[in-house]
Amino acid sequence: MSIKYTIDGVEVIAEPSDTILTSATKAGIDIPTLCFDARTAIYGACGVCLVEVEGVPKLLRACSAKPQKGYVVHLHTPRVDRARQTALELLLSDHTGDCRGPCKLNCPAMTDCQKYVGEIREGRYKDAVSTVYEAFPLPASIGRVCPHPCEDACRRKMVEEPISIAFLKAFAADKIEADGNPYVVQCEPETGKRVAIIGGGPAGLTAAYFLRRYGHEVTIFDQQPKMGGMLRYGIPEYRLPKAVLDREIQIIADAGVKMVNGVKLGRDVQFDALRSEYDAVLLALGAWKSMNMRVPGEDLAGVHGGIDFLEKLGLGERPVLGERVAVCGGGNTAMDCCRTAVRLGAKEVYVVYRRTRAEMPAADIEIEEAEEEGVTFKFLTNPIEFYGEDGHVTGMKLQIMELGEPDASGRRRPVPVEGATEDIPIDDVLMAIGQGADCEGVDAELLTQRATIACDELTFRTAYDNVFAAGDVTNRGAGIAIQAIAEAQKAALCINNYLEGDEVRAQIPYFVQREVTPEEFEDRPKQKREKMPGLTPEERRDNFEPIYFGFTEEQAQREASRCLECGCHDYYDCRLIRFANSFDVHPEKFAGEMHDREDVPVVSEVIVHDPDKCVLCGLCYRTCDQVVGKTFLGLYNRGFSTVVNPMVPDEARTFCASCLKCVEACPTGAMRSFPAVERVTQLV
Amino acid sequence: MRLVVGEGSCGLAAGAGAVHTRLEALLAEANPTGVELGITGCNGMCFLEPIVDLYDDEGALHRLVKVQEKDADKIYQAVTTGDLSLVDGLCISSEDAEFLSRQTRIALRDCGVIDPESIDDYIAHGGYQAISKILSTGMTPEDVIAEIDVSGLAGRGGAGFSTAFKWRAARNADPGEDGRKYLICNADEGDPGAFMDRAVIEGDPHALIEGMLVGAYAIGAAEAIVYVRAEYPLAIVRLRKAIADATERGYLGDNILGSDFSCTLRIKAGAGAFVCGEETALIESLEGKRGMPRLKPPFPAQAGYWHQPSNINNVETYANVAWIIVNGGAAFAAMGTENSKGTKVFALSGKIRRGGLVEIPMGTTLREVIFDIGGGIRDNKEFKAVQLGGPSGGCLPASKLDTVIDYRELGATGAIMGSGGMVVMDESTCMVGMARFFLDFTAKESCGKCVHCRLGTKRMLEILDRIVNGKGEEGDIEKLEDLCYAIKDGALCGLGQTAPNPVLTTIRYFRDELEAHIAEHSCPAGECRELITYYIDQDKCIGCTACARQCPAKAISGERKSPHKIDPALCIKCGNCKTACRFGAVQVK
Repeated sequence: MSIKYTIDGVEVIAEPSDTILTSATKAGIDIPTLCFDARTAIYGACGVCLVEVEGVPKLLRACSAKPQKGYVVHLHTPRVDRARQTALELLLSDHTGDCRGPCKLNCPAMTDCQKYVGEIREGRYKDAVSTVYEAFPLPASIGRVCPHPCEDACRRKMVEEPISIAFLKAFAADKIEADGNPYVVQCEPETGKRVAIIGGGPAGLTAAYFLRRYGHEVTIFDQQPKMGGMLRYGIPEYRLPKAVLDREIQIIADAGVKMVNGVKLGRDVQFDALRSEYDAVLLALGAWKSMNMRVPGEDLAGVHGGIDFLEKLGLGERPVLGERVAVCGGGNTAMDCCRTAVRLGAKEVYVVYRRTRAEMPAADIEIEEAEEEGVTFKFLTNPIEFYGEDGHVTGMKLQIMELGEPDASGRRRPVPVEGATEDIPIDDVLMAIGQGADCEGVDAELLTQRATIACDELTFRTAYDNVFAAGDVTNRGAGIAIQAIAEAQKAALCINNYLEGDEVRAQIPYFVQREVTPEEFEDRPKQKREKMPGLTPEERRDNFEPIYFGFTEEQAQREASRCLECGCHDYYDCRLIRFANSFDVHPEKFAGEMHDREDVPVVSEVIVHDPDKCVLCGLCYRTCDQVVGKTFLGLYNRGFSTVVNPMVPDEARTFCASCLKCVEACPTGAMRSFPAVERVTQLV
Repeated sequence: MRLVVGEGSCGLAAGAGAVHTRLEALLAEANPTGVELGITGCNGMCFLEPIVDLYDDEGALHRLVKVQEKDADKIYQAVTTGDLSLVDGLCISSEDAEFLSRQTRIALRDCGVIDPESIDDYIAHGGYQAISKILSTGMTPEDVIAEIDVSGLAGRGGAGFSTAFKWRAARNADPGEDGRKYLICNADEGDPGAFMDRAVIEGDPHALIEGMLVGAYAIGAAEAIVYVRAEYPLAIVRLRKAIADATERGYLGDNILGSDFSCTLRIKAGAGAFVCGEETALIESLEGKRGMPRLKPPFPAQAGYWHQPSNINNVETYANVAWIIVNGGAAFAAMGTENSKGTKVFALSGKIRRGGLVEIPMGTTLREVIFDIGGGIRDNKEFKAVQLGGPSGGCLPASKLDTVIDYRELGATGAIMGSGGMVVMDESTCMVGMARFFLDFTAKESCGKCVHCRLGTKRMLEILDRIVNGKGEEGDIEKLEDLCYAIKDGALCGLGQTAPNPVLTTIRYFRDELEAHIAEHSCPAGECRELITYYIDQDKCIGCTACARQCPAKAISGERKSPHKIDPALCIKCGNCKTACRFGAVQVK
């Protein structure tokens, strides 16, 4: 006869054969467990399914406890939470692996690089693009211009060179476009909520895309004639063809995002009006002001802000420069400036940088290509004066520098060499030493002392409840596009939470990570990184034609096949990481001895067991025994040394039919098969 | 005259075998009339082994203690000449005799009295009367269970669960189509410092067999199994002989004593896993599987061995049963407290003057056991703590000495009755080191199945390790406490659920000692090697060079007849010097 009881106030009906867990599952109530599977006998090892029942002194394992009539079961009490959280933290304190690859973890937007690289390898380009779109829109544009922190972290460089992750992304996006199968944004049903976004750069576009996906009505206001922000007005055509950007912005527009150009905050629209008219406002104004160098002679004609110079170019103008151009600064904007100056016909182009090449923040490839195009780098020099005739600059005095002690950023601080200076004649100067925000029209209450917008690190909320900020305009200052995009992605989530009345905070997920050494990859066969085909320096230096042609399909697949697949292959099915992130774990408090064991081939080339990811739930060997009727696996040793191992010698294992039931049953990535199978949990 | 040599494992280890052999040789040579030589099990006075009990012609007992092989001739002279004054020097002192006289022995009633290898001796001492009474007077299984119920007998293995309740549950359980029920004896005695079960099997194996027979009759089992650890070879030998003898005499096998009741008994030797003392792990092991606990429910009474109704009690529990049937449950219940009836055996050890097996009525205080029976602390040192219940128990300080022995009262202190291990510590024992010792034991003995026990005890041990090594951190105590409670709630079986007890009682009663390790990096007891320095008190040292000669690291220097010195850079803190010094000059700070 069935009985009735409650779980967290919800009435549950249990048949005589039911446990608390099975009856809860039937009632749609999720009780976490790592070791239970209805196909095997109750085992009770993981201690994750613990529940508290009123009037019962001990906590009960839901997987085994039979409910009694009138039981009042609680899934969350301080005791249950402590015991369950401890179980998970203890497991994670001896869990060695990489939930996600370093590429993903190093991407500010947490783009699943390993996944889309794998999809490209398999020729699933649309899937690859969809994977990128889970993190941000604009894959073809960002793939071309991103300084790719993912590649900096890529472990393939321990073999020879990192995977060309960024270009692969651009390849996939270009490929599906060329195939006439472009990405289409899928949106949730309309919510009726309205969001205004000020600024249509990478941050604004990204936020607009996500908010639209959530089903909100989104309008972007931008001061420029077209959307794209710095991608359009800060990055020259030869690096990012504007047709590519247009096409990707159109995808967002096609999703229903309203785009209003030529509207400047404070001039054409008022902040207060937007705040009252829209349910939420996102300020993504960017950083459009070139920083001054505070050097005498800065106001001479011919001394330009680097970003102003690039903006003019973006607007279709063709600024006239003299024959000798000096660019001050060592970042990517400086590279864009000097290479643009070359293309505009300057005869001598200098990059003046106060440290050495090793300290330059610009991407290596940019520096290399600038050199190829004839740019002269003047390292360890710092302008101390611009001078001129008739109000126009004619030369600059450089202080010779040397590297001293490391500063707070870890880079060695440049210090002047007493009395050593150099004069160089110049016709124009482009200052690319940094950019500041222009927050005209924003209430002073929202600004920091540096005139950026103050917003919370995790909520992206400003001093006003319904006003959020993201990207270069925030208190964190200007950075690379993918950082702005990452903020926008999280800010969109926070805005969505806010609009739905939930807690606003963006969660920082928990991942297991491990340290690796190059020795680990010593046996890997070397395979060189694919070279991006493009124009020669001679072909490219007098025009703005795109310098890269993009990978061929063969190249892309070859390149993608170099991926070491560092991230756990089982991330999406792993119950341990899911619970870890649902229950706010802090395994570092149990830091101690960790296992570091070799993978064990269960059946060579087909099934492999990684004991360092094993939670000893016993599902593999129990499934083999109780479901398959074999005993190829079993437990060895005791206590902390307990390990799942094959029970029979190699030869006998050939009797294993590789049914992969053990792999299917594994709740983590410990059991792995080639090819992979889907994990199956059966709770009833 | 009769000479009886105490030949339990403890007596044999102390040299009883050589004494026996010598006596046997002397007697065989002369073949004197009226002198018999026999053996018996352990009478519990381990501190006096080897022991020879001399019964004179009037049957009076002269207990000769610490008998060496060379004493055999003297004893031979005494028994052959009748001049017992010859062995006066070997006789037990009246003070030491109090060790036994203050006890009340039920489970151990015949241990150290009868010849464990003689079924006749057992029968002569009233053995097999219980099963005869049951089968001849027509007591039903329900009657038997009712009698046990009246006695209030509770499981002596540690949990203290009502024996009658368990028997009734197994009695009433439906054995299904298979029809079989099993009665199992847990003789996998594994707590460090507990050896009463071994003493019973070695000293009175038929008492166990008879108790099990009564149990098997009560629950309706025709098959009984003793799961005994393989590290008890003598117990296994004696039990095997007892089973053979009992079977031959018709106390085991088909139609016992001509009744309808049939029951076989066999031995299963365990392979040495501590966790197999946990009843469900024991059953798994009996079935030939890896010794790992099962989830309860179902309890063994519902689904135990081969998933048939099974009853499991430990040796001491069964050893009480025949006495209860013969003397009546009420007589048993007359002893003890309201919550705990009868007697309990304790294995008294540690820094105690008189260590051994002690059986006392429930309700006796710890102080009476330790000071009146055990004679207090050895070497005139101060009592510091008593450890009860082994790895599942805890350490109690002097302030708890007046706690009475009672399941509930002991439980309230944070320690447990346990299987009866009672380890006494003096001022030189570090309580943190003690907690670490037990945790090291449980962490190693964890079967590895459940997360809380496998990893929780490991992490606790690591924290304690760093504390005793002077690397403790602020917050470690709180971290330990948190882990303790999570493990108690989350561990699968008794081993894990009670593993935190030694740590929790140390935190509760000896927190200042823990804090000294963490905050001051000092070990107040002077035991934790990483935290102490050996030095020689220059005023006390007479320059005898004893310490320097014992030092393996050549860290001690000094001229003969002038004070010596220890070079701390060379000292490996082995403590040899301190042991060697007869003047108390070697000290620890």
